Amino acid sequence: MSDARRYFDDIQVGEEYESPGRTVTEADIVLFAGLSGDYNVLHTDAEFMKQSIFGERIAHGLLGLAMQAGLFTRATQAYATLAFVGLRWKFKGPIKIGDTIRLRAKVAAKKETSKPDRGLVTVERTVVNQRGEVVQEGETDLMVERRRA
Amino acid sequence: MSVAAPRFYFEDVVLQGVLETPAMTVTEAHVALYGGLTGDAAREHGLVPDLLSLCLTVGLGWRVPQPPLAVLAFMGFEWVVDSPLHVGDTIHSRSKTTLKRAMKEGGVIIEERQVINQRGEIVQHGKFTFLVAKRPA
Repeated sequence: MSDARRYFDDIQVGEEYESPGRTVTEADIVLFAGLSGDYNVLHTDAEFMKQSIFGERIAHGLLGLAMQAGLFTRATQAYATLAFVGLRWKFKGPIKIGDTIRLRAKVAAKKETSKPDRGLVTVERTVVNQRGEVVQEGETDLMVERRRA
Repeated sequence: MSVAAPRFYFEDVVLQGVLETPAMTVTEAHVALYGGLTGDAAREHGLVPDLLSLCLTVGLGWRVPQPPLAVLAFMGFEWVVDSPLHVGDTIHSRSKTTLKRAMKEGGVIIEERQVINQRGEIVQHGKFTFLVAKRPA
């Protein structure tokens, strides 16, 4: 059986991917509050949020982050990832109920490491809504396997 | 008579104050629910998706002996995954506010946070930036 995963050697700096869209629903936010235990009023109290600068409940920032991780798997073939090393992330604007988000990603850098069997891949990611507004953006560092010689 | 729930405002935040959360055991059910909701999965069976641990940490962060922080917005964060978490591991988190900067509307705080397993090992750590409301006049 051939291995469909993409290795460090296969991935090129400058590659770009775009995911399908995903509409964020009230159910998504309720489930995420229940799963994470984050019941902050920003995400759960419709009446309180009418008075806020957002005017309504907004999705948890980390729900958007987790959803873009899911969208990444639908945007490109899987990497031969050994470890998720870290990320730097900014929340630029709210995701509201009914908004449709998608991920735009680009391979920003590749770096060899002290271990010959793996390399570090940095992916720039932008989460945009249906109006093309950037709601989240950042960079993730992934440790990816190299092809065996 | 109704009394509004107490909230913890920018003025209340103690610089360098350390907060510890209760612990929770991460189960197969958490991984399955998270996978179904987000479409994100762990690299291999038996591991916890790294971003799930982060999400659970944020939930744990509210379970501290003080009223909930009056967060206006989560602005961003930097995060490092130090080691993988396995299903069945028990995590808690520890946080410390390392910066407070008053703004016109509210104030910015930076919080350093660690996720710690049942053996006391740091499995993830990083810095969160929040915009927090000032106490209403």
